[in-house]
Amino acid sequence: MKKLLNSPDTYVDDMLSGLCAAYPSLVREQTRVVRSTDAPRKGKVGIVSGGGSGHLPLFTGYVGRGMIDSCAIGDVFAGPTVGACVMAIRAADGGKGVLRLYGNYGGDRMNFDLAGEMLADEGIETTTVLGTDDVASASPAESSKRRGVAGLIYAYKIAGAKAAGDASLEEVTRVAKKAVDHTRTIGVALSPCQIPGAATPTFTLAATEIEMGMGIHGEPGIWRDNMKPAVAIADEMTDRLLVERQTTNPRVSILLNSLGATPLEELFILYRRIAARLRDAELQIVQPLIGHWATSMEMAGVSLSLLFLDDELERLLAAPADCPFWRV
Amino acid sequence: MGLTAADLRVGIERISARINEIERELNAADAKLGDGDTGVMLRRVVEQLVATSSVAPDNVAGAFCAYAMTSSAATGSSLGTLITIALTTASRIAQSEQEVEWNGLGHLLDAVVEAMSKRGGAELGDKTILDGVSAAAHAVDGLSDPRDIRAAILEAAGRALFEYRDRPCRVGRARMFAERSVGLDDPGMLAFFHVMNAALGDSSEHRVPMSTAPAWASS
Repeated sequence: MKKLLNSPDTYVDDMLSGLCAAYPSLVREQTRVVRSTDAPRKGKVGIVSGGGSGHLPLFTGYVGRGMIDSCAIGDVFAGPTVGACVMAIRAADGGKGVLRLYGNYGGDRMNFDLAGEMLADEGIETTTVLGTDDVASASPAESSKRRGVAGLIYAYKIAGAKAAGDASLEEVTRVAKKAVDHTRTIGVALSPCQIPGAATPTFTLAATEIEMGMGIHGEPGIWRDNMKPAVAIADEMTDRLLVERQTTNPRVSILLNSLGATPLEELFILYRRIAARLRDAELQIVQPLIGHWATSMEMAGVSLSLLFLDDELERLLAAPADCPFWRV
Repeated sequence: MGLTAADLRVGIERISARINEIERELNAADAKLGDGDTGVMLRRVVEQLVATSSVAPDNVAGAFCAYAMTSSAATGSSLGTLITIALTTASRIAQSEQEVEWNGLGHLLDAVVEAMSKRGGAELGDKTILDGVSAAAHAVDGLSDPRDIRAAILEAAGRALFEYRDRPCRVGRARMFAERSVGLDDPGMLAFFHVMNAALGDSSEHRVPMSTAPAWASS
């Protein structure tokens, strides 16, 4: 597969160099750690995230004021090292504790957990909230096993806004967990991506096939079948999320995300139907977000996230933020 | 005599000599159950271990610790972090000693399995690298001759791979399509098999037990 790179071994570091050169609000604290120039802020709860590369703008693109303070970055689709996690937590620490907010993946969990244990000896208090928004990855009864995908961005925004208001670590952790609990996501894949250095794509799909529920690393989904009209795909994705709605508040935010190769045109074709479907369900759309938010390099497909709002979540969602890929 | 820092250095050199071949094998296996980059990850770790081997301490505990630090800086992948945990645990068990007595190797491997399980969350029987290492731990129990230990580890790593091939994966990404993992090797178990064969075996033994049961499988 053709890719614009110098070497698979320098793919991540070359990318991070370019990202930080393009956005002066981002600083490389160490090879694989990116910090906001605003962080750490004394007396403010820090928020750290991280994960494997290959998902820009997730994770690093959301480092900034009112969002996350620092990020630990791993190789493509691999967790960040323990050392990077330690450095990222330190970079976010303003003396009031640090929330570790990241997706529910084995490597990320092990390394952030180890880093937190190491820093406890230095007196840095940490808490953890895991993104678990992907409804296709486990049943509702096993929701704690679900993976974190694009919906994690909502948790960044909600927790980031709370932390900017000088809340305690306990309060920031609470709203981050609430945002995760109120967010549901499902994806559909049309074609695969390929990790730099790997000999084959992460999965195979016939030219006529799609896979509903596929994860952002090519994790298998719910079904694989022939391509369907956009309205059918939009209806199924929306309905699979609405069935898990647990609030009576009619306000909902929608994040319709390209997994990489799918163009805005197709996103808006889907959005037209999804918005109608939500109106039919007597829901009111707040702040629709449509574009590239959490990708898998050149994978074609989309994910749909819904954040079921209440007054607190809606207020925090609308609060000011300024990072390379989210401005309010 | 026992396992020394010099033995570790030689083992790393031998793994390094075969790493390109191992990388291809593991990428191919991981492409069926994961995202196809387990070999790339292991190659990067081994390259860094080779660089460390020339400056690692002469005592085995210090050497294990140095390799653990190197591994932790080289990767944050799930398997890579389990390798780091294994090396850290080995360093702790070796406790500043110059060498690990041969008859203490089983205890060390048992501790490695326990530590990897505690941190990673997998249990024995889940079809992960733990099952390969655990098989090796049991195989060397009571042995004190390094030639017997070498043969026992190679046999156990191959046996575990063969025995688990037709079972479903119960953790990690592959748990979500467990039925499709039947008949496929877990990349972590396969990595253990290849690394042990590269470090301890000769080229004629460096092969994956295929569908025809090896002689020991029917015993």
